Amino acid sequence: MELRDVVGRSSPVKISPTATAGDALVSMIENKTDYLLVDRTGPHDAYGIVTKRDIVVAGIAEGKDLTKTPALELARKPLVVMNNLDLDIRWVAKKMANEGVSKIAVFDKEKFLGFISDIDILRAVTAKKEADH
Amino acid sequence: MPTVSRSETVQSAMQKMLEKGCYTLLVPRMNKSDAYGIITKKDIVSKVIAEGMNPREVKVEDVMSKPLVVLTNLTLDLRWVAKAMANSGVSTIVVFEKGDFYGYVTESCILEGVYHALRRAKLEQGVEFVSC
Repeated sequence: MELRDVVGRSSPVKISPTATAGDALVSMIENKTDYLLVDRTGPHDAYGIVTKRDIVVAGIAEGKDLTKTPALELARKPLVVMNNLDLDIRWVAKKMANEGVSKIAVFDKEKFLGFISDIDILRAVTAKKEADH
Repeated sequence: MPTVSRSETVQSAMQKMLEKGCYTLLVPRMNKSDAYGIITKKDIVSKVIAEGMNPREVKVEDVMSKPLVVLTNLTLDLRWVAKAMANSGVSTIVVFEKGDFYGYVTESCILEGVYHALRRAKLEQGVEFVSC
């Protein structure tokens, strides 16, 4: 099974690079998502990602005031990216383990395809094993 | 929390997670002097799939985390619950009250709590709550 079979097609919810961590939290809960894409300011800037875990571990656990902390301070920037769509899913899982992340951005050449999450991987592997059986 | 037996395969744990939409399963103990275990989506992705093992052949007991990260102080501030998660590198903490299983806290639970606190603070200031 290859990366192209499992990449998620849903487009991520974005927040502006000037948003606070509080804004990010509100947006996550109201959009029922685990992560947000932090938009870039120009073509030479990188995208960032902020997840629920980032807010818990880097924000709340450190006692920061979420309404004053910029979301970018808790975000991961630049993204962990993969662009070889023929890669076996095993190596996508290994990349997640190595980098310690749960979402990887997938690009086909220049074009952004979507994020692949750990849940996408579980779903794909389960479906495949059932089909084999 | 849904449970999975230690002798089941990782494959059936995965199916259970996807069916219930709950990516953390409790592994019950064998007897009184044994500890509870826990298996999460991260355990499966990083210890089974990333290593190229077959989920049909790997048992839950080989990849689960044991013993649990536990908190017993129900009046603890959320900040320290978050810090306990950060320190031990886990996403779920089990809460015991006086030796009995009380429930568990996840990252989403903490965020939900903070979200309501933020909301309450805004209302108290008399500011209309505006979402971004």
